[in-house]
Amino acid sequence: MADVFSNYHPGVAFDEMVDAAGTIRPSYKAVHTSLQAATADELRGIAESLASSYTQAGVTFDVGGVERPFPLDLVPRVIAAAEWETIESGVAQRVRALEAFLADVYSDGRVIADGVIPRQLISSSTHYHRAVWGAQPANGVRVHVAGVDLIRTPEGDVRVLEDNVRVPSGVSYVMTNRSAMVNALPDAFSNQRIRSVGGYSQRLLTALRKAAPPGVDDPTVVVLTPGVYNSAYFEHSLLARTMGVELVEGRDLECRRGRVFMRTTAGLRRVDVIYRRIDDEFIDPVHFRSDSMLGVPGLVNAVRCGGVALANAIGNGVADDKLVYTYVPDLIRYYLHAEPIIANIDTWRLEEPEALEEVLDRLHELVVKPVDGSGGKGIVIGPRASLSELEALRRRVIQDPRGWIAQPLVQLSTVPTLIDDKLAPRHVDLRPFAVNNGEDIWVLPGGLTRVALPEGELVVNSSQGGGSKDTWVLSPPLNRPITITDPEPEPEPEPAVPLQDVQDQPPPRPRPTAVPLGVSRPLGSRPQAVRVMSDRGSRREQQEQQQQSGGLPC
Amino acid sequence: MLSRIAESLFWIGRYVERADDTARLLQTHLRVLVEDTTTAEVDACRNLLALMSIDHVEDPTHEDLLRVLGYDRSEPSSIVAAWSAARDNARRAREVIPMDLWESINTTWHQLPSGRFRSTRAHTFLDWARERSALFSGIARNTMVRDDGWQFLLLGRSLEQVDMTSRMVASAALTTGGTQWPSVLRGCGGHDAFLRTYRGFHADQEAAEFLILDARFPRSLMHGLTASIHCLSMVVNANPSASQAGEAMRDLGRLRAHLEYSRMDELLANLEHEMTAVQDTCARVTQTVSTSFFAAEDPRAWITEGTR
Repeated sequence: MADVFSNYHPGVAFDEMVDAAGTIRPSYKAVHTSLQAATADELRGIAESLASSYTQAGVTFDVGGVERPFPLDLVPRVIAAAEWETIESGVAQRVRALEAFLADVYSDGRVIADGVIPRQLISSSTHYHRAVWGAQPANGVRVHVAGVDLIRTPEGDVRVLEDNVRVPSGVSYVMTNRSAMVNALPDAFSNQRIRSVGGYSQRLLTALRKAAPPGVDDPTVVVLTPGVYNSAYFEHSLLARTMGVELVEGRDLECRRGRVFMRTTAGLRRVDVIYRRIDDEFIDPVHFRSDSMLGVPGLVNAVRCGGVALANAIGNGVADDKLVYTYVPDLIRYYLHAEPIIANIDTWRLEEPEALEEVLDRLHELVVKPVDGSGGKGIVIGPRASLSELEALRRRVIQDPRGWIAQPLVQLSTVPTLIDDKLAPRHVDLRPFAVNNGEDIWVLPGGLTRVALPEGELVVNSSQGGGSKDTWVLSPPLNRPITITDPEPEPEPEPAVPLQDVQDQPPPRPRPTAVPLGVSRPLGSRPQAVRVMSDRGSRREQQEQQQQSGGLPC
Repeated sequence: MLSRIAESLFWIGRYVERADDTARLLQTHLRVLVEDTTTAEVDACRNLLALMSIDHVEDPTHEDLLRVLGYDRSEPSSIVAAWSAARDNARRAREVIPMDLWESINTTWHQLPSGRFRSTRAHTFLDWARERSALFSGIARNTMVRDDGWQFLLLGRSLEQVDMTSRMVASAALTTGGTQWPSVLRGCGGHDAFLRTYRGFHADQEAAEFLILDARFPRSLMHGLTASIHCLSMVVNANPSASQAGEAMRDLGRLRAHLEYSRMDELLANLEHEMTAVQDTCARVTQTVSTSFFAAEDPRAWITEGTR
């Protein structure tokens, strides 16, 4: 029988389901089995029901004012228990370091005095806001929610592509993807234990309540949205609904004497914690863009005098500046006295003369990004750029080396994806979400897996034809209450892919010896994947612009 | 409850009711037009449009009627426009309205016809439109918490129903419209109920009495007015700071008393004028409710602290 996998040929990238020898990885066995039993017609039926359930429920994103269902692929991305533990601790470690870094640069600046990071790098960051210098959050948390973008290299290493600690978006799709998938692929779920993603809203609400100004017993929390025309509006309303709090727009709020109130049918009501989904630039016309129609005049003053807590804090952008990103491993060593659990992508800082020289020689094979770019503006992919584009880039880089970083073109790993009734490998990335409540950092099991749907597409962005996948984190075998009816011996937990420098960390639990799965291969001439942010510059409405730098259109 | 959300719910109620009533009105007229041989099509259509306060269509035809009241998105009175507006408001209030209710509104919006259609398909469309409104009401009744939001939704719906029923009643007074009391009763879905109530006997006066005064019939003016007053008093009690809302209560109460205690033959003699007065009251009450509960942001701009 010609099954749906008959033409499945992974390319040079690391494939999440099949290893180099063509064997199905243990974590994917159950999914593979249930997909193999299906016919192309059945798969099409499932895909159609997924799409229509999203249209009905309004799980959509806006592209140029048109609402479209967010494409959800039916093959999940599966992460083995042991590997997830490493990712989880790696993400939490990163958030902890960035939290310490922000507290530091907005007060004494020890990290600068100790020579870990140049002062000039901080002061030249466009997202370093002096307006909040010295403002202490009540429970010390600035990064209430973080999204850390991860990719897997062809060698099988998981690396951090970028940090998002301003307004990371996409978590709503993690929740809706799961509920849609449970209905669409029930047998794949019944065969194994998958960790739940349902607890996110409660965790977030707890973290927000704990951030309330001192002396408030029963804080009123609200979600602040730019409005219905924002592409992430669906997410804002889902979060407000599942947390049971009001979803407000800027015009619903009013600042009086350093406190914030919302307009209700019964008059003004005090607000204690604002989970804002509006960018810094728009949040307060008094301090930032004075033409902002989305913000609340006086909000920064209210934050400074402790009348209201803002999540995430203003000025966090300095921590996810792309040049600061290159220092994060150093920051982890400096603040936490530990080695990074997940490594960065190799990055050249172009302000260093040797690096600049090397990069200029190899512009045609590298990806060059502006450090403060959000939404993907100005990124140049060497192999895809024309000669004149490269020439223009060369001039701009020489003119302003501080403004740019360069990275090698990384091939993202692939996962089977339903394309025209056949399963074909497509490139994915992963954005796990972390919630910091001031006492501990909780990482949502899984995260948002984004997939580039066109063949050889370099962009996983939805507005560029990207979709998403449900992300399954398998429960550790120890906790598994039932035994799988599997004739083979109990499968070993997936041999963990060694994350960089993982040996320096005490392993969270005994694991089998790490065996690299990805076979190192030279970069071929096949189209290579790299995540590129879309150009959103043509959007008119301010509402539409509010976006964390990932360029997530969700 | 947030003022903005309350406003959205109020308008969702109005728009869904408007879509329903417009569909009924159109359906009645289409039926009557087929049977009526004495009235010119153009007159009948013009009368109907005038009832809906639409005066920008020259020499309207059957087709125009369907377009302006049915499927044209750019016509504010069309069913399609009403549902689009309801959905816009629902999207703004999405986190407070029940999931099922949102999905029913969203599905309706997705299924709205995108262009014109021939009059043969009109009844299918109008039946569908009425069913969607009925579905909305049913889900709302079964899933919504009876808080302020529910009262605002119901208030909007009741006011709209009063307004639309008054237009239907006024249509009976038209001399050339060809619309007579039986068809008005059918348009309100109350023909059989009327016959049962009056044991098969019917005359114009009884029909008018039924549609205006019989509070037991849910599409009558009296029922709508009573419901509006009830909703309004609930929200006023819950939000005592809304000072002007008392004015709206008085307005509605006066209207109800006027209709209740007027002689039916006097009302009938002056039907068109009386019904216009009903519509004016609805507009006034909407205005008062908006200013007292949906208090829009002050239009003035912010000024730097310390200069105040």
